[in-house]
Amino acid sequence: MDKSRPENKNWIVGIGFIVALFILPFILAKMGRTGEFWIWVTTEMIIMALFATSLNLILGFGGMVSFGHAAFFGVGAYTVALLMKKAGVPLGLSLMAAPCMAAIAAAIIGWFCVRLIGLYFAILTLAFGQLLYMIAFQWYTFTGGDDGIHGIPKPEFLGPANYYLFCLVIFLVCFLIMRMVMNSSFGLSIRITRENTERAKFIGINVRRYQLINFIIAGFFAGLAGGLFTELNRFAQTEFLHWSRSGDAIFACLVGGMYSFIGPAIGSSILIFLHIIIQQIHQSLVETWAIFLGFILLAVVLFAPEGLVGLYEKLFKKS
Amino acid sequence: MIILSFLTHSFPENVMTIQFFFFMLINGLSQGMVLFIVASGLSLVFGVLRVINFAHGSLYMVGAFLAFSLSTLFSGGSLFSFLMLMVLVPPAIAILGLGLEIPLFRRIYGKEHLLQLLLTYALLLILDDACRLIWGGDIRNVARPDLLAGSIDFFGQYLPTYNVFILVVGPLIGVGLWFLLHRTRAGNLIRAAVSYPEMVGALGVNVSRVMTGTFMLGCWLAGLGGVFMSALANIDLSVGMEKIIECFAVVVIGGLGSIGGALLGSLIIGVGISFIQLPFSRLAIVFPYIVMALILIIRPWGLFGKPER
Repeated sequence: MDKSRPENKNWIVGIGFIVALFILPFILAKMGRTGEFWIWVTTEMIIMALFATSLNLILGFGGMVSFGHAAFFGVGAYTVALLMKKAGVPLGLSLMAAPCMAAIAAAIIGWFCVRLIGLYFAILTLAFGQLLYMIAFQWYTFTGGDDGIHGIPKPEFLGPANYYLFCLVIFLVCFLIMRMVMNSSFGLSIRITRENTERAKFIGINVRRYQLINFIIAGFFAGLAGGLFTELNRFAQTEFLHWSRSGDAIFACLVGGMYSFIGPAIGSSILIFLHIIIQQIHQSLVETWAIFLGFILLAVVLFAPEGLVGLYEKLFKKS
Repeated sequence: MIILSFLTHSFPENVMTIQFFFFMLINGLSQGMVLFIVASGLSLVFGVLRVINFAHGSLYMVGAFLAFSLSTLFSGGSLFSFLMLMVLVPPAIAILGLGLEIPLFRRIYGKEHLLQLLLTYALLLILDDACRLIWGGDIRNVARPDLLAGSIDFFGQYLPTYNVFILVVGPLIGVGLWFLLHRTRAGNLIRAAVSYPEMVGALGVNVSRVMTGTFMLGCWLAGLGGVFMSALANIDLSVGMEKIIECFAVVVIGGLGSIGGALLGSLIIGVGISFIQLPFSRLAIVFPYIVMALILIIRPWGLFGKPER
């Protein structure tokens, strides 16, 4: 069953939602400082949705658990930070370089990783991710170590609302590209490798090569997300590469539903929103965020392993 | 030994005295022994339950903090109070494990790897944060009992008694574990459940009880490791995460499910970290990852394991 192909009704809802997203910053801009804060939050949501969707190419469609996806996010982030701060490259060029650098990193790391399956794949991606993290941490003269890189220049015309729209457009384009890739014959082959690797081999699919290409595509978009995130915060830090960020993206996929295309984006937005809301209720509650997250995860794993999208389909579509 | 001799050369002559070398070695070996106790629990649980328990390091940390709390209740410094910790804390962790296994783990056996990983990861998040709420972020340790606090003369070298104590106890635990697994009925059941769970069930054994028992044994080992560590080094909220990564490295080196491999892996990681820590303290953190990556690239099934396919 192909869940990612929406019915006509979904299209209307989707377009309405996108229009609402385009109007949103103009409403928020009228609300002063809180509005500006929420524009920032929604921009972060969009970027993280891109990151989570890119991870889902490996996780949901490829069926491989990667704990090192933050590495590519971080490579993209540091590419933008270094190019803009140290070389004075304009934003557009840096944002093009970021995904390419991330894709190169993904090609090198992926070449080793796709040789392994299941748990071993997960552990090796974790190891590589943490190695990159430690390199960023140690190489003080180049990456600024644990201080990170601050004060990344911001082009004049990119106010918060404009940057929001910029990210939204990029996200939509990337989303459609990824969706096209996953519905192409390549994407279908990737799904076969998830469902039945032996069979995929039997019908002549070069499983490793397909998985590697998938890994590189996912790394490419993660790098773009990293670059956008750096420009949003105007700094890059080692935390971007830490495996807990990969964990966040995995949770987003799980909560949203990793067998649907839109799920990870929904999951990531909801988790960020919850985090902010908890922060707004009381500052000290943030310290217990991990417990909240833990219980949310437990509930999802035990009662709704197909995530919110799966739950929605179970409740409203009796097919 | 090749690694060791290489490292001795990398130290400046004046620092690298024999005394110092011995101290580093014994420190590394005793850290490795504690790691072995914890990692063998992880490996055992994986062997039977086929679930990699991310929360294993957190259970170990709860054990270490529990040992600290109990030690403040007893009059510190006596051997008796330390023995009480060794007797009380591991079963407490095992009971905690029982409380986790029955309602949570049982529901995910045989399901996708990802769901299992995420369930245990959720437990890690909850347990780690619970530790922070209960014990706070301070650095703690347990006073070594008087009898074990000094040092002993070993062919002219003075070695800390406590480390020697761990070096004696660690192998004993290993032998005990081997005896339990290979010479008792319970061990036979566990090993049979590893290979042919359906067959064992068909013979009228309550397999889920075997699984629960194994999980509790794994937690017991985590708790015991926590008790030993609490008096060996300082403990804080980062030790759980640190230990689970080291445990992963150990089981990757030794092969999942192999106790002998876990021993070798633990000693490699323990001694390796001990020797790297002084000249390059930050490199010590990556050491487990480097070893893991190398082994997974060269020999993914570990030094002692067998290829799965």
